[in-house]
Amino acid sequence: MLGFLIGEALRDLRRAGRVAVSAIVLITLSLAALGGFWLLSANLERAVARWRERVRIIVYLKREPAPAEAKALVEQVQAVPGVAGVLYIGKAEALASLRQLLGKDASVVAQLPANPLPASLEVTPAAAAATPEGARALVERLSTLPEADEVAGSGDWVERLSQWQRLLTTIGLGIGIVLAAAAFLTVTTATTLILHARREETEIMRLVGATEATIWLPLLLQGTMQGLIGAVLALAALVATHSLVAPRLEPLVSITLGLPDLAFLPPVNVLALVLTGALLGGMGGWLVRPGREP
Amino acid sequence: MIELHRVSKVYSVGPVKVPALSDVSLRVNKGEFVVLTGASGAGKTTLLRLLYRDDLPSDGDVEVFGHDLGALKHRDVAALRRSIGVVFQDAKLLPVRTVYENVAFVLRVLGTPKREITQRVFDALRVVGLSSRAQAYPAQLSQGEAQRASLARAIVRKPPLLLADEPTGNLDEAMEDEILGTLRDIWAGGTTVVLATHQTYLAQALRRRTLTLQSGRLVKDEG
Ligand SMILES: Nc1ncnc2c1ncn2[C@@H]1O[C@H](COP(=O)(O)OP(=O)(O)O)[C@@H](O)[C@H]1O
Ligand SMILES: [Mg+2]
Repeated sequence: MLGFLIGEALRDLRRAGRVAVSAIVLITLSLAALGGFWLLSANLERAVARWRERVRIIVYLKREPAPAEAKALVEQVQAVPGVAGVLYIGKAEALASLRQLLGKDASVVAQLPANPLPASLEVTPAAAAATPEGARALVERLSTLPEADEVAGSGDWVERLSQWQRLLTTIGLGIGIVLAAAAFLTVTTATTLILHARREETEIMRLVGATEATIWLPLLLQGTMQGLIGAVLALAALVATHSLVAPRLEPLVSITLGLPDLAFLPPVNVLALVLTGALLGGMGGWLVRPGREP
Repeated sequence: MIELHRVSKVYSVGPVKVPALSDVSLRVNKGEFVVLTGASGAGKTTLLRLLYRDDLPSDGDVEVFGHDLGALKHRDVAALRRSIGVVFQDAKLLPVRTVYENVAFVLRVLGTPKREITQRVFDALRVVGLSSRAQAYPAQLSQGEAQRASLARAIVRKPPLLLADEPTGNLDEAMEDEILGTLRDIWAGGTTVVLATHQTYLAQALRRRTLTLQSGRLVKDEG
């Protein structure tokens, strides 16, 4: 029975001819647009997540505490809500890492009359505090420490990146929806044409006892097929574009975003694209059900 | 098996009312072979169409297999039509399918296994003498061939009730005899048959119960 229904659906699809092809092209375009933006935004999201992990808040201290004092201070800051970890960096240590950073130019450091670097606490925010509001609140809390001179680093730019990522997702969704609406209307048109072309046939089918399901399931199926073909084409286009463009873009991405590679869409999104396609086509076919006889 | 109780049918063509059947009552029992005769326009096709619920009467009740057709639900209409084989006066073949596909279609909608379909379709085509035309499309058939294809489709399901509307309408005498022979064989196999024809000599030749319609009225029921 399923074979029969699929056979009928293919027959219908052939009957819709060029309009079905247009519908498939539109579905392909809308899903490719949606998928393309998803791909970019998924990679930005990865970058944001990576940078969020690296957000550190530095508390510069007014004066270098004695070792015992430092230990007590670390414990005190550790107890502040929203703090995951605290690392004490003494003046000497700060200078050492500066020297390391400068490499062969480290001799400059030796010419300094005194160590100009302050002692500091490197605070790692807890996951809950790694949001813009959370980080800002934490900075404020840390500023109230009497030992604190200045508190730096809130990860604001990471949040801006995150906003860009959300904007990209929204734009992608917007373009996808507009194209999807056009695709949907075209599927509907194709199905209406099919229905018109097989009016006489439908009539005869009913007279020889075909059930209503036998009559409209093929319509639903052909719509779903249009959607699935469109989704597969869109995915193929995305894979091809990704494999062509990604290797060229990766050096740039690695410098600017700190991502080692440009990943393809995660399986969930691939599945979502295929389902969206099937649904778009299926709905188009479903809406244009043949009217019943009196 | 079939019961008509004071059935009338009036077609409305715009403001014009065309009476096609007037106050017809009759009863056909299981296993009968009935010839429905009358001049062209007498109402034969209309009566048959009421039996497979292609239309409803304007007045009166139609009962088939014990079901009141006026009260039948949509999905039961499909079930009713599946237990009735109909040879349509205008054949009503699906235009973009071959003869084979047309006959196979009524089995496929039932979900019959493919192997069985092939066997049964060729059996039916052999019975009506159309085996060689299995791959032809309806447009390539003569009217007589189209009618035989329609007959093959009607009998392929081995229905308990067969309605044949002018199945010999466009055939030569030899073919006519063959079709009538086929109908008789089917009837002998237990199927109730109603044969509508305007050719009164056929009714006489068949020596079966004959119902005669005249301007929509049942004027004779004999044999
Ligand atoms: N669909 C229809 N619409 C209007 N008039 C019809 C229709 N079908 C049949 N008629 C009329 O009803 C009468 C009976 O027709 P029909 O049942 O086809 O007779 P028969 O089959 O005996 O030739 C005729 O006058 C015919 O013109
Ligand atoms: Mg007629």
